[in-house]
Amino acid sequence: MSALTSNTSHLFSTTRTHPGAWWLAGLALALSASLSSNLMVLMAISVGAMLTVWLCRDDAPWSRSIRFYFFLGGIVVLLRVIFRVVFNLADASQDVFLNLPSFSIDLGLGNSLHLLGAVSVLSIQAALVDGFRLAAIILSIGMANSLANPRKLLRATPGALYEIATAVSIAINLAPQLITSLKLVRRARGLRGHSKGIKSLTGIVIPVLEDTIEQSMQLAASMSARGFGRKGNRTSLQLRLTRASTFLTLTLLTVGVAMLLFSSAQQFVDLVIIFAGLILAGVTFKLSSTRTTRTKYIVQRWHIADLVLVLLASLVLLAAFSGVFSK
Amino acid sequence: MIEIKNLSFSYLNAEGKQKSEEPQLNRVNLTIAPGEFVLVCGPTGSGKSTFLKTLNGLAPNFTGGVITGELLIDGVNLLGAEPYEFSHLVGYVNQQPEGAFVADLVLDEIVYSAEQLAIGKEQITKDVQRLSKLLGLEELLNSPLSTLSGGQQQRVAIAAALISGAKVLLLDEPTSALDLQGATEVLNLLQKLAREEGVSVLLAEHRISRVVGSVDSVIVVHGDGSVTKGNPADQFNDARFAPPIIELGQQLGWKPLAMTAKQAQALWKKAPAAFVEKHFNEPGPRVLEVTDLEVTFGSLSAVKKTSLSLFGNQITALMGENGSGKTSLCWAIQGSGTRTSGTVETATGDPKNMSVQDRLEVTTMVPQRAADLLFLNSLADELHESDTFAKVPAGTTANLFQKLAGRIDTSIHPRDLSAGQQLSLVLSLQLVKNAPVLILDEPTRGLDYAAKRALAKQLDQVRNAERTVLIATHDIEFVAMVADRVLVLKDGSIAKDASPLDVLGSGQELASQIADVTNEAGLITIGQVLH
Repeated sequence: MSALTSNTSHLFSTTRTHPGAWWLAGLALALSASLSSNLMVLMAISVGAMLTVWLCRDDAPWSRSIRFYFFLGGIVVLLRVIFRVVFNLADASQDVFLNLPSFSIDLGLGNSLHLLGAVSVLSIQAALVDGFRLAAIILSIGMANSLANPRKLLRATPGALYEIATAVSIAINLAPQLITSLKLVRRARGLRGHSKGIKSLTGIVIPVLEDTIEQSMQLAASMSARGFGRKGNRTSLQLRLTRASTFLTLTLLTVGVAMLLFSSAQQFVDLVIIFAGLILAGVTFKLSSTRTTRTKYIVQRWHIADLVLVLLASLVLLAAFSGVFSK
Repeated sequence: MIEIKNLSFSYLNAEGKQKSEEPQLNRVNLTIAPGEFVLVCGPTGSGKSTFLKTLNGLAPNFTGGVITGELLIDGVNLLGAEPYEFSHLVGYVNQQPEGAFVADLVLDEIVYSAEQLAIGKEQITKDVQRLSKLLGLEELLNSPLSTLSGGQQQRVAIAAALISGAKVLLLDEPTSALDLQGATEVLNLLQKLAREEGVSVLLAEHRISRVVGSVDSVIVVHGDGSVTKGNPADQFNDARFAPPIIELGQQLGWKPLAMTAKQAQALWKKAPAAFVEKHFNEPGPRVLEVTDLEVTFGSLSAVKKTSLSLFGNQITALMGENGSGKTSLCWAIQGSGTRTSGTVETATGDPKNMSVQDRLEVTTMVPQRAADLLFLNSLADELHESDTFAKVPAGTTANLFQKLAGRIDTSIHPRDLSAGQQLSLVLSLQLVKNAPVLILDEPTRGLDYAAKRALAKQLDQVRNAERTVLIATHDIEFVAMVADRVLVLKDGSIAKDASPLDVLGSGQELASQIADVTNEAGLITIGQVLH
């Protein structure tokens, strides 16, 4: 008795940060990075995100995924700089620190393509800022993903989104699963060998795909055997209606926001779509919350520490908005 | 609790027609009482898993196929219903719990089903307390699942299956990946669940000898569609899956047959039979020499400075608990695995420094995930590719495979073979390569006794002065049958390097069933007993 109660109270203690807090913080940092053009600030955000993971992570396997984000960030910075040196469009007249021979290639498309040439400090600096901005965004999201497992976040999703959120969390888990499977299968392939008539790719791709699909099916079977997908006390019609309206809501909201962000032409139409989405969201929540079909036994609560975390990240974001970071 | 009437099940082929002449399950009739502990057994590939899956809707909903008849669970006909309609009545635990986990922490995993079924919080707390106490998980509730041992994971899976209040528990070979200690723990718990909690437990299991003494009845899935249920004593007349104790009783004409080691000990004492000395092969020339080999992963030292030699004409068993470093050592010797330091010498050099293609001519290995080696679309293609690659006459691999697994329609997709059949296939592919070093990592998982005997015979036949065989395994009876020498790993070091008689003899920690029953020095396997 005492063991469980003490464990349960431990579960609710501050040692566990709310996964939502990590995601809010991560998104705030990512947004700040996207608004900033100061190299020092961008580097600080990158290093800050890495340090946070380093200090706060536990020994769970998903914590290790930050390495992947780190390499991705590094590659982005490197590629940005290399591209700037190779496709050196602006002919530098001052501050030249690297003078490479210049090539001109005529592609027959009007202007000829200039490669290499004189590289100025300014152009490299601009490339670094571009690269680090992307890297900082990648690392901020990576921080959230490494510290708050998507499955943990699933616990905090509202009931109406539960089924969709489950699908998303399984999809997010698919990538690391594919990589693990790829490693194991490649190793196994070395044990088998193949004769000349067989394409070596077949020997990798087929087992990896089969393995991944099999694992997903196994997970689905296990979830189903343990009650996932039950109608509970809802009728089939209610269930279908809820699913349809959830799907429609999410589609409308995604399309609406995307249109608002990427096309400036018909803002009125975009707003109508978003508005329709919001109304439908209300209907969906109403539909799915009328009856309890699921117990939330382990409730993730917001603690002071979580709020402080979000507050700190918001301060960074506020500074970014006010333009402090752009200089 | 469960009432099955005229239940038939068949898989369909791509054209939507019944796959084979015989349905997988044909007009099955049987009942299972509350609190009954039932062992489900049968030859490799006979359809034990399929039978279990029909009892909670996974077949046909997740496997495809057609089901007919009546399936009453707690009085409700649930034939063909989705698995979630069974979830409050039937709990299901499969062979590899880690693939079926839906959460990351033990407590989250255990309560998942209760949350889905909208069971009240107080009730869940009560059930978690009861189950975690029963299953010895109280200290682990906050641990990440990935940090648990195989046995602990299996116990979590059992708790998670029972939290819904299910009164029937189906387990599909829950101990096949566990060491002796882990397996014994799980099996004892199942017995307790049936006795004390009134849960009907249906256990598909290959380690029949460890459970047969404690079960109430035995269901045999014969493989021809028929399924029978009866007393343990009447059900083991098929030598394909009769465990050593029962086989011993049959050979010596004991009536009634002994089911437990205790009964057998008494019977043997009354009338001990004569037995021949176990024959071991003299070691041939040294084929492989390992010097100061170390494997470390990060801060974990999997294999500590280890030196050993493997000799021709010899089959060496590598034993040890889960996590003792067996698999790491196998991969390091094979050449493609992590090796932190040390050397492996063969007549043609260190396999680590060879190209993938050259290495295959020196070391071949059957890994634990044997199915990863299969990648073609039909059994026929796999067999043909194997013959081509190994440059052996057409049909050589097929012959070998048939000896191990029996006759199987070669148009079948390799993924549709049972786990035991897949393993037999991979074994055949690797055996025809004819490399001087053959490494097998847990080769008897999912194999019935007949298949194990066939494998032992095969390994005996491929023995020659230039070839050495290394087998990493938990399977004591198989080691007793086949090994000339046993290495026991403990925490990454070789703790014992001795004759099987010393490691598996009576009174030893790893004593074989026959040694345990007969208590005779020098007797470890049934093949030695004269009748």
